[in-house]
Amino acid sequence: MSTSAHSHHDPKMRVEDVRLITGGGKYAADWNFPGQLHAQFVRSDRAHAVIVAVNTEAARKHPGVKGVFTGADAVRAGYTKPPHSLTFAGVNGMKARAPERPVLAHGKVRFVGEALALVVAESAAAAADAAELIEIEYRDLPAVVSPEGALADGAPQLHEDVVPGNLALETEAGDAAAVEAAFANAAHITRLKLEVTRVAPNPMEPRACLVNHDPADDSYLFHVCSQGITTLRKQLSAYTSVSEDRIRFELGDVGGGFGQRTPAYPEYCALMIAAKETGRPVRWVSTRSEGFLSDTHGRGNIIEGALALDRDARFLAMRLEWVNDMGAYLSPASPGHIRNTTICMTGVYRIPALYAHYRVALTNTTPVSSYRGAGRPDIAYVVERLVSQAAAELDVDAAELRRRNFIPPEAFPYKTPTGSTYEYADLPGVLDKALRLADWKGFPKRRARAEKRGKLRGLGISTVIENSGAGQAAKDEVELELDAHGTVVAYTVSKAQGHSHETTLAMIVADALGLPLDRVEVRQCAPGKQQLQGNHTGGSRTTVGAGSVCHLAALKLIEHGRSLAALDLGVEPSQVEYAKGVFRSRESGRSVRLGDLAKNGAVSVVGEGKFGSTFPNGCHIVEVEIDPETGTTEIASYATVDDCGKVINHTVVEGQLHGGIAQGAGQVFGEQIVYDPGTGQLLTGSFMDYCMPRAGMLREISTEEHPTPSKVSPLGVKGMGESGCTASLPALANAVVDALRPLGVGHLDMPMTPAKLWHAVRTARKGGN
Amino acid sequence: MAKVEIKVNGVKQSRNVEDRTLLANFLRDELGLTGTHIGCDTSQCGCCTVHVNGRAVKSCSVLAVQVNGADVLTIEGLAKGSKLHPVQQAFSECHGLQCGFCTPGMIMATVGMLKDTPNPSEEEIIHGLEGNLCRCTGYINIVKAVKQSAKMLRGKKPAKAAKKAAPKKKAKAAKKAKKSKKAKKAAKK
Amino acid sequence: MYALNYVKVKSLAEAAKMLASNPEAKLMAGGMTLVPTLKQRLAQPSHLVDIGALPELRGITAKAGTLTIGAATKHHDVATSAVAKKAIPSLAYLAGLIGDPQVRNLGTIGGSVANNDPAADYPAAVLGLGATVVTNKREIAADDYFQGMFTTALEEGEIITRIVFPVPRRAAYAKFAHPASGYAMAGVFVAQTSDGTRVAVTGAGPGVFRWKAAETALGKNPKAAAIEGVALDAGEMNEDIHATREYRANLVRVMAKRAIAQLR
Repeated sequence: MSTSAHSHHDPKMRVEDVRLITGGGKYAADWNFPGQLHAQFVRSDRAHAVIVAVNTEAARKHPGVKGVFTGADAVRAGYTKPPHSLTFAGVNGMKARAPERPVLAHGKVRFVGEALALVVAESAAAAADAAELIEIEYRDLPAVVSPEGALADGAPQLHEDVVPGNLALETEAGDAAAVEAAFANAAHITRLKLEVTRVAPNPMEPRACLVNHDPADDSYLFHVCSQGITTLRKQLSAYTSVSEDRIRFELGDVGGGFGQRTPAYPEYCALMIAAKETGRPVRWVSTRSEGFLSDTHGRGNIIEGALALDRDARFLAMRLEWVNDMGAYLSPASPGHIRNTTICMTGVYRIPALYAHYRVALTNTTPVSSYRGAGRPDIAYVVERLVSQAAAELDVDAAELRRRNFIPPEAFPYKTPTGSTYEYADLPGVLDKALRLADWKGFPKRRARAEKRGKLRGLGISTVIENSGAGQAAKDEVELELDAHGTVVAYTVSKAQGHSHETTLAMIVADALGLPLDRVEVRQCAPGKQQLQGNHTGGSRTTVGAGSVCHLAALKLIEHGRSLAALDLGVEPSQVEYAKGVFRSRESGRSVRLGDLAKNGAVSVVGEGKFGSTFPNGCHIVEVEIDPETGTTEIASYATVDDCGKVINHTVVEGQLHGGIAQGAGQVFGEQIVYDPGTGQLLTGSFMDYCMPRAGMLREISTEEHPTPSKVSPLGVKGMGESGCTASLPALANAVVDALRPLGVGHLDMPMTPAKLWHAVRTARKGGN
Repeated sequence: MAKVEIKVNGVKQSRNVEDRTLLANFLRDELGLTGTHIGCDTSQCGCCTVHVNGRAVKSCSVLAVQVNGADVLTIEGLAKGSKLHPVQQAFSECHGLQCGFCTPGMIMATVGMLKDTPNPSEEEIIHGLEGNLCRCTGYINIVKAVKQSAKMLRGKKPAKAAKKAAPKKKAKAAKKAKKSKKAKKAAKK
Repeated sequence: MYALNYVKVKSLAEAAKMLASNPEAKLMAGGMTLVPTLKQRLAQPSHLVDIGALPELRGITAKAGTLTIGAATKHHDVATSAVAKKAIPSLAYLAGLIGDPQVRNLGTIGGSVANNDPAADYPAAVLGLGATVVTNKREIAADDYFQGMFTTALEEGEIITRIVFPVPRRAAYAKFAHPASGYAMAGVFVAQTSDGTRVAVTGAGPGVFRWKAAETALGKNPKAAAIEGVALDAGEMNEDIHATREYRANLVRVMAKRAIAQLR
């Protein structure tokens, strides 16, 4: 499929827009059912404590209250074993130590915000009032909120015998001996200790979930923010032992996800208990403050990295020592932190020897799970910071050092030392384009001009690659249903959270069928079509997976239609041509319209496919200016050249890039989840303290595409929902460090807040005096 | 309990609610106007922005009873039938929304901003969006959408025939904008 | 929010009466601080006594070297008032920096001054200009009014009716906003009045305060350079996860210099 093939319906407005700009979107909190009860969770206000007693008597008596549930109910239901996905073997065959987590805490609480009781009442206000009447007696235990602290000798033990030493898993990747040998012969070694800070994904829609229980077949119907039903259903089933066929969904719009809307949260299972027990629909809408405490966090990794180079500044080996903070429990969707960091550990470089060692720690904090990129930004940050640091130490141009070490185009498909195979990338091509777009050579002049204005200007670059598009499902399926009007409905079990599936997937189907866009409708996770297989939307996979299958299904529909049309036309299928919604007999010239085939009932086909990883790649070049008086950073320019494969909808792709870059910039400059080290209290528990990016942070992004089609997908596409975030973290951090380097600053951790930068400047200047 | 009478999107609505009921909940739960979203509990995100007597406010920080008797405009009342308001149209055309959750608030805030500042500079746009958070777009296309909607709204104002007198008209329009009552009318057009 | 009773009073006298007969009642005007506080269940008033719509509490007037702003006047109205802009442009500018547009459309000067949040903007102007806080009982000089974090000279049941600002020769406000909350991390109001120069600081310390050493230095030399080495005790500044004492002290100096450069 070529870009021009669908140019005839490059929509000015997305299909989903009209409803969303008129207030017609239907998000999880917008569902209401007659007779519904309102839920309020009681959450732990301490980080680590034994629950001595929970007195619910007063709450039960409060007017309007229909039920109060505690950890004892969770244990009685058997909802205690959350699924987890750290299923790969660790060092010496070690298996992940997965602690139990009753859906309402029982026995102990292990982080501030952990739900330990649930009140359901006739109104939200009554539930909230009653929740305050629950008396909890705790016996406080010492808490540990830093993962390094949790792994240290004598640290408070979260799960005693189940997770000794708070070490949930120790694992490794690569070849330790080869790396050791290479380091022994290195001409230069660059070392950095880096923290990829813990952040809150914060989709704008707070979490919400409404559960109906049907006693007729003991089934549950969920209205919930979700990134797709298949993963959520499987996890809910694993947590509760309710079989998957008895868990159903009716989903509307989803107000952002970023990985945080993937997992089965314990709250959802607790609502199942309440809905079944009371026989009423139970509705829970989280507040933002609750969300900060109980929605999974992202990132949270500490890395000691070392890069060995030879005399010509060619990379010899890299060694990474990771400590991964998983919070108090293993989240069902936490493996990305580790797996994705090994898959692309070598980055875009030929590094002959790699070794990484991971210690996965549990701490008295909110569980950590996937967040846009899920490990991909983390590894890119580590590699790209090391490379830029090496360039500075060796006084080599940062772009030149990259070019010298790139995997050359002729080396693809490239098998990396950690076992993945990169399909293809034209790295020199991407770099050259980006250097021109950003006017790399003109930087010294711009720096000099900034200096005259009293500003410190820095130049940052990242060249990254990431695995995207693959999923855990056995296959992706899309059903196309054709009606007598010639309208085609595409059913998928992926679920957009802002990704524009209704537009992009419809474009793919319409393109393949040669139909106008308004003849195709995309329905996601539709009731009655939930038996379809497929991946949820995450890991930049929907266009690669469901999108490719949309294309294949459309081709299948044409073939199926050709047979049906041949019968109508009284010719052999091979004599029937198809174009733009019409089957035509080559001989007679007679024709049958697509819709005619469905005049006696809908015609449906199911397409399927299984796709591996694609490897989008790109180069981001940033210039920042720091005001040394206040430490404030301004992003002066931002240029990107990305290879996302063939692009279906340029506007949507650019929008995804913008959003990813902004989330990266948010993390670099301000966002961070901070706990009080003594009490374990969350100190950044609202938008008053958690620095969300605002308008003006990024003024303009110059983007260019450098597409090389992927053969993984028949569309030639690559997953790209996360690449903006992956590339922006290191590019921005490198720019800030570059700005301060003339003062002698070597490294700074995120977030690079005005206060931190001012201190860095001051300390450096004092040192220089 | 309080009897609250509010004109919402031109229709008088009357309900008995608890005094502590927030305007956002009144709109969502009592009237079923779920286009007004609640994205935080500290008045930071602006998802709940509606207009009360022509001014943009955060409906999660106002009691319903507090605006008894007022005129409230929500996202549902912005389009004229099937004709989108220029700000709605610009947000869509500029891809100024992705998940759409912040969008009603962004649009209502923008409509409010353009009443006060019909021709905003980029700085004024950024200042005008300080009360609204978006997690999807990186704001670049939102700022673009505000610029475009300002253009669309301004383009609509001067009558075609009045071309010769354009400079004077413009001056008058600017004066008008300062008088808040008249400005409200003008922006509603 | 806990259950409560809302009363929209028709007169100041009625408000005073409500407060006198209900010890747990709270005044409200715009509600921009109060309602979020109530939502978090951080306060449990029996009554909310809404004085926001009282006409005698609204309006902006200038005469005889003073600018008077009614307590229930909204930030937006001050920010855009031609009268305020002409008399004390720095004050209108400051009002336009408070919160965000939606907050400015409801929040009032009286509410802000009565609440005396240590990072609010208005207290810097009231103290910096040496304004007079007028209540239903008396007049209080700004220097006596602010008594530290969330603490003022207001007595039980006392209601601010207006603030009277003397028009300075020149004044300016410079603010470094907290990147998350938008409150002042450091806000400095500098005013040159007939009695000398006043420098009021908000956001950086436990409450709005006058930086007297800077005032003395500027009295001798009204240039930004004058305060370069002037003493400012970082130990007196706030420290939290966002900023150290030293950083806040630096911001105070930098914002003061920027304000001085913008005096008009």
